[in-house]
Amino acid sequence: MKAFGTQYLRSRVGAFFALIFPILLILLFGAIFGSSGSTTVTLYVQDLDNKPASHAFIDALNHTNVTTTRAIPASANFSQYIREHSINVALQIPVGFQDALAKAQNGTKATVNLTLAGDQTQSSYGIAVSVVDAVATAFNLQVVRASPVVNVVPTSIPGLRHLTYIDLFLPGIIGFTVLSTPLFGMTAICAEYRSRRYFKLLATTKLSKAEWLAAKVIFHIVLLFVSVALMVLTGIFIFGMKAGLTPMALLIISAGTLEFTSMGMALGIFVRDPETGAAIANAIGFPMMFLAGSFFPVDAMPAFLQTFARFLPLTYINEGLRATMTFATDSTALVDLVITLGFAVVFFVVAARGLSWKSK
Amino acid sequence: MAEPVIEVRDLVKRYADLTAVDGVSFQVDRGMMFSLLGPNGAGKTTTVEILEGLRDPTSGDARVLGVDVRSGYRKIRDRVGVLPQDFEPFDRLKPREAVAYWAQLFGRSMTAEEISGIIQTVGLADRADTLAMNLSGGEKRRLGIAMSLVGRPEVVFLDEPTTGLDPSARRELWGLIRQLKREGTTILLTTHYLDEAEQLADDVAIMNHGKIVARGSPAELIAQHGGGSSIVLAGAGEDGLRAVRARGITPELQGSDVVVKVPVAGDMRRMLEKLASIDTPLNEIYTKRSSLEDVFMNLVGARMQEGVLAT
Repeated sequence: MKAFGTQYLRSRVGAFFALIFPILLILLFGAIFGSSGSTTVTLYVQDLDNKPASHAFIDALNHTNVTTTRAIPASANFSQYIREHSINVALQIPVGFQDALAKAQNGTKATVNLTLAGDQTQSSYGIAVSVVDAVATAFNLQVVRASPVVNVVPTSIPGLRHLTYIDLFLPGIIGFTVLSTPLFGMTAICAEYRSRRYFKLLATTKLSKAEWLAAKVIFHIVLLFVSVALMVLTGIFIFGMKAGLTPMALLIISAGTLEFTSMGMALGIFVRDPETGAAIANAIGFPMMFLAGSFFPVDAMPAFLQTFARFLPLTYINEGLRATMTFATDSTALVDLVITLGFAVVFFVVAARGLSWKSK
Repeated sequence: MAEPVIEVRDLVKRYADLTAVDGVSFQVDRGMMFSLLGPNGAGKTTTVEILEGLRDPTSGDARVLGVDVRSGYRKIRDRVGVLPQDFEPFDRLKPREAVAYWAQLFGRSMTAEEISGIIQTVGLADRADTLAMNLSGGEKRRLGIAMSLVGRPEVVFLDEPTTGLDPSARRELWGLIRQLKREGTTILLTTHYLDEAEQLADDVAIMNHGKIVARGSPAELIAQHGGGSSIVLAGAGEDGLRAVRARGITPELQGSDVVVKVPVAGDMRRMLEKLASIDTPLNEIYTKRSSLEDVFMNLVGARMQEGVLAT
């Protein structure tokens, strides 16, 4: 492992992409999006009234082209549901929504308060407030002729720290690094080892394939820990990030590194030269980066892509890291960790069995 | 009594449309330097990779240090050194680091003195702290030999160790290989350089199309298949050819030289006297011993240049 580390660090390109590039991404995206919104906001709605008027209100929200609504079951505890599902912003329509509107139409004074829960420092929250306010105003104007009935009461998510954009963004960048460093690195290594006959050379020693792969996994875990530490420090000191590394996050990073190191090695089975290696790694890595929620939430994607994202290993790393680092919901992250470990074991077995050091 | 270190019997390696090794048998005793000599594609590397445990044979037996290469190689890995064909060291390691790394892969922890000793042995002391990517071709092969020696192996496989090197680097490497042999290491050397096999090997097997076509010491092969010695009338040309024929002798014209084979050594003086009386202008007359080149020409029917047959 020491010899491999020495070679890796002497390859300045590898060290740059593992240690410096993620920090540059944080600085870049942090500077761009740190104080403004970016994508369509998914607004979770709990409709406790469940009557035609509340349905019409939700339809109106969906027609804004700015928010997309998703239902929270009426039976769920609103605050708990938000925490457990790592939701950024959610609206609660209370019982009596339609009745209040009906009273107002009949000339009786009535009000109803909608609860908009979310992190108020976050850009997506501001967008949601604006949209819900606009729709409420329209309802007031059209339904009850300018008499204000529907009021929006902004509130923060109970038990949640005040977060910034970087708190949501950083777990995705860590996920991106957990994918890119070992996957691209191992695919390139396999290509180099095959074209320069290093596998054959190694096969003449007492080292086994599983030992070699394990050494590579351990090396990448150490490398990723250093890289993640640098990213988190950058986030804290430059952007005032609140999210921090948790034991669960370290477990997910380790499992993810095992997963993508093994995947890179498994891809190495098909790689004959560096060009093929780069093409295969790019073909798999880049779509996964964008479709698995590294740079923007999976919720913001079309439904069929959201379904597709469920089959991508990186999705669970991103979601698990967000759950534990940003929303402090380790119970949710645990599911992602187990799924990631499952993928990791499959890829490790395929890699250890499939890659032959022997010639045919 | 000689102790067999490498035993090969009826070895066959067959691919879909090619039989790379076709019933090869030989034995190499302890301390011997054995050479598989042949053109590219003759089956040398396939044979040696089977013996290194890197390929499985289709049929036949192959044993190294008494162990079946198909099943028992883990037991003898540290007793076998390998320099693969077209060896490339790890670019971003220095020779000193590469030797230490390789020792670890054999479960050995070498002291700094031991590492320096191996590097000194292969003549890389001055380059021990240079990145491998900056070494010359010959220095890289030396590093490869140093790495193959970290387990203090009893047998070393050198697969075309001097291919692509300039004559000076080749001769330097020959010195190193001779030194290994003097130290008692059993060596299997594959090469397509006839002079290399002749200079280094105790025992040579000439391979062509997957088969061994001749086997013996260089002297035995030359005696049996070299066609004896020759007298060369340098620059005698067509006139010389006619003059020699006029004396009832069958010559060959090789370029502008007239070459007369003398199969029996006792006939040399009489033949020289006959040819000396020819008054055709020529540059010089000299005698030439047969070499493995002649053996190869006689057995294979073609000359070999850089591993390629030239008819």
